[in-house]
Amino acid sequence: MAASTTPLMPNGSPTGSGEPIIAARDLTKVFRRAVKSPGMKGALRHLVRPQWADFTAVDGIDLTIHAGESVAYVGPNGAGKSTTVKLLTGILVPTSGEVRVCGIEPFTHRIANARNIGVVFGQRTQLWWDIPVQESLRLLGDIYELPANDYAATFSHLADVLDLGPLLGIPARQLSLGQRMRCDLAASLLHAPPILYLDEPTIGLDVAVKARFREFIRTMHRERGLTVMLTSHDLGDIEELCDRMVMIDRGKIVYDGALAEVTTRFGWERSLHLSFTEDAPDAEAIAGRVLANRTGIGLMQPDPTRLDVAFDSREATSGELIRDLATHLPLADIRIEEPSAESIIRRLYEGQLHFDDAANAEPAWIGAVR
Amino acid sequence: MNAATNGIEAATPPPVPTRLHARNKYLGLVDSALQQAIAYRVMALTSIVANMLWVVILFYLWRAAFAEQGTIEGFTWPQMQTYILLAYGINAMVGFSSASKMMQAIRQGTIVIDMIRPLNYLGTQLASTIGLAIVEGAISFALTLGVGALFLDLQPPASPGHALLFVFSVGLGFLTKFLFIFSVSLLVFWTTSSVGLNWAQTALVNVLAGVLIPIQFLPGWLATVAAWLPLRGIVSTPVGVYLGQQEGMRLWLVLGLQLAWVVALWCFADWAWKRAFRAVEIQGG
Repeated sequence: MAASTTPLMPNGSPTGSGEPIIAARDLTKVFRRAVKSPGMKGALRHLVRPQWADFTAVDGIDLTIHAGESVAYVGPNGAGKSTTVKLLTGILVPTSGEVRVCGIEPFTHRIANARNIGVVFGQRTQLWWDIPVQESLRLLGDIYELPANDYAATFSHLADVLDLGPLLGIPARQLSLGQRMRCDLAASLLHAPPILYLDEPTIGLDVAVKARFREFIRTMHRERGLTVMLTSHDLGDIEELCDRMVMIDRGKIVYDGALAEVTTRFGWERSLHLSFTEDAPDAEAIAGRVLANRTGIGLMQPDPTRLDVAFDSREATSGELIRDLATHLPLADIRIEEPSAESIIRRLYEGQLHFDDAANAEPAWIGAVR
Repeated sequence: MNAATNGIEAATPPPVPTRLHARNKYLGLVDSALQQAIAYRVMALTSIVANMLWVVILFYLWRAAFAEQGTIEGFTWPQMQTYILLAYGINAMVGFSSASKMMQAIRQGTIVIDMIRPLNYLGTQLASTIGLAIVEGAISFALTLGVGALFLDLQPPASPGHALLFVFSVGLGFLTKFLFIFSVSLLVFWTTSSVGLNWAQTALVNVLAGVLIPIQFLPGWLATVAAWLPLRGIVSTPVGVYLGQQEGMRLWLVLGLQLAWVVALWCFADWAWKRAFRAVEIQGG
């Protein structure tokens, strides 16, 4: 990445202090969806007497993001991520609640709000398909009414850092995905917005392009104070780009905090992976009997020579369990596993883990593992 | 980021800022729509030539009708030939490709891209329709004039004044068709399908604008209705002005009606757009 002294982010501040740049309070979006019985009969009945069901995509979200933060907004498909981003961009009107982006209500001032945000969609290009990249960028300069000097400075900086030179004369439809993503990044940052939304930006990119993409965003974030909000399923994106993770599930925020804290908060979840010197097909039953008086134990036997024991480190230590089991089972090897952020996020996606449970004594994985 | 490994690409000189002076953003959109239309010029040409077939069919149909009598509903045979050709030429100026694009954008949710920009959507669509019309209109105008001069008994405008009003009326007709197509396309927010809508709007324009036959030839009650509806402004009004079918007060009444409808449709389209956008969920993701 080439360094440049061009001030790209006039409004951005690298410190996370002061007024929040994005603020949502009790933000809710309810969609009305048609309820149709299957088949022709259902379709006809819907014509005569339509029935509707409410679907709450975003359910009372409170979210505060300060200038210069980088936030991963994660959650399973259909959790309400895209709807939230659409509410923040002013494309959707909230059913209730309040939302401010740079102090502006996005849906009443969509056009003013548009000047403060840049958006990158991993799955859609914002370049004009049939005209050369250079023309697309020039048109964006017109659309954002950039003064010629600002345009020239930002353009040459982005073209330099993203190495757009060889791509400028090519229409978007002829670009590879990686090339297209570079051009899309330039398109979204040309008007030097203080906020950048990234929607699944690295989907389909190869490892090298992905790494360069992350490096570019990191530089813009650290050096220019760009506020980044990222929705992604790629843990690498989240870990490398974001200090803070907001997790949404079924329209509600279930976790909001440091990414690293996810693991410490769930540090009590441990697994023992035992392997045996000989087949022990009834190991699960034996272990169940031996550990019957302990709470918070989950057992799973993937094959006759192995047994997985999930336990709660607040209830028992690995040593106690190994001591108990070693006298009844032909232990060969023992591996102790602490949960990674990835496994916690995956379990949340699969609905096995609920962050509310962190406060409860009963570990959440019990039902799922046994 | 990724350095070019391709020799041809690497030979390209380093980028220079190309935007030396600012354009109005909507003019910029017209320009890029024009470039896109040129990229698809063969497709545009094909559809215009294919539509020309209608002119041939109508020509032979009307020739048979005029073999019996000298004038029908006030049309002489040369006037009718002029009508057929102009009706076709004017109608081809705003093809349905801008409608198809807009419907597709709504259906597939790519409309989101337009909405994250500081652009008025009605203005954006108008700009791209104008860009397309400059290319498609130029092709169809050249073709119309060529065919008219070579094969048909094309009449000149009724007078220089009529010619001037004709140009004005074609402009209003352009806006009428654009606004009609825009409003119909919005229905995709609810139907989520565009096939039926495209058929319906083609049929409505063909009949009520006077593309297939002049609206005077419609059955009595329908002719009266069509005479007051906005769609007549697309073809019937400008061609009528060209041929000098209306004089004095009637001429101004017809043009006034055309203008009033454009204003009304503009307000409606703007309102309907806001309404549709607020009421309905954006498709996909």
